[in-house]
Amino acid sequence: MLRALSRCHDPVFRLLAPRSTVLVETVRGRKSRTDPKAKSKLGRIKTPPPVDPVEMVVLKERFTEYNLILRALRLEFKEQVLRKKYEDEVGSAAEERAKREAEEHRSLMAWNDAENLRLRKIREQRVQKEAEEAEMKRREAVLLRQQELENYIKEKERQIIQLQEEAKDFITLDNLDQRIEEALDNPKNYNFAIDKEGRIVKRTAFQ
Amino acid sequence: MVHLSSFLLKKYHGGHVVIRLALGGVTNRPFYRIVAAYNKRARDGKYIEQVGSYDPLPNIHNEKLVAFNYERIKYWIGCGAHTTKPVAKLLGLAGFFPLHPMTITEAERKRKAASTEVVKTESQDHVEQ
Repeated sequence: MLRALSRCHDPVFRLLAPRSTVLVETVRGRKSRTDPKAKSKLGRIKTPPPVDPVEMVVLKERFTEYNLILRALRLEFKEQVLRKKYEDEVGSAAEERAKREAEEHRSLMAWNDAENLRLRKIREQRVQKEAEEAEMKRREAVLLRQQELENYIKEKERQIIQLQEEAKDFITLDNLDQRIEEALDNPKNYNFAIDKEGRIVKRTAFQ
Repeated sequence: MVHLSSFLLKKYHGGHVVIRLALGGVTNRPFYRIVAAYNKRARDGKYIEQVGSYDPLPNIHNEKLVAFNYERIKYWIGCGAHTTKPVAKLLGLAGFFPLHPMTITEAERKRKAASTEVVKTESQDHVEQ
């Protein structure tokens, strides 16, 4: 019970409890409420610590005085706090402070707006420049594509012309016999000899 | 990060502010901070404001150092904060509060015990002689 009392914040009063009372209330420490009491504690009668009546009276007086002084101090501090709050809100320097703060706020807002304007101008210029550059790139890309298309067409035409040129020498069914006769008449010799110094010899022993 | 909610976040019903000692430090080396916190908070948990400190172990010059921020203590007591027994005792010793009755009583008891000890040793000496 005394331990429970010591947990609250009021000053502890050591009550004049009678000597040989069994204190029923306990504070649960390690064991739960269902655990049995230890055998060594069977005949134990717990008594509170002895209280000196003379000292008790003196203590009670001291406590009343102490509480009186403390209450007075508390009220004093409360009054100080309230006075300070009142001074802050409705005091002599409060209006000027409020005006000054409003002025500061207005100037800061104006500065902020100026900054925003400046940044907006810069941003707009940048965006414009980027748009122009994109436009330029697009035009160039279109030109490039056109150019590439033209090149491709030219290349294809060139190939067609070359093929037409080569087609004149093709072997068809008409000049088949003629070409065979020609081929048989002019035998071509592709053999040659080469040595390590790079001298080529085309005249070989051919049948 | 900006906290847009109230300072200590939890909503308390019927709690009050206390000025108490919050234990810190290491094993075999305690150190207390005198702290204004809500009653329901843990002893070492989140507090509203630190208002002083107390070192229970004496230093090289055999002094126990205590610090108080009297302005803030006045503010909190004016806002209705309670104080715990050890804080009240420390403040009494510091002179901010009146001396706690138990401090005086303990001192008287110690003095009486010391005087009876002296008397007992003197009587023992006489008996031996």
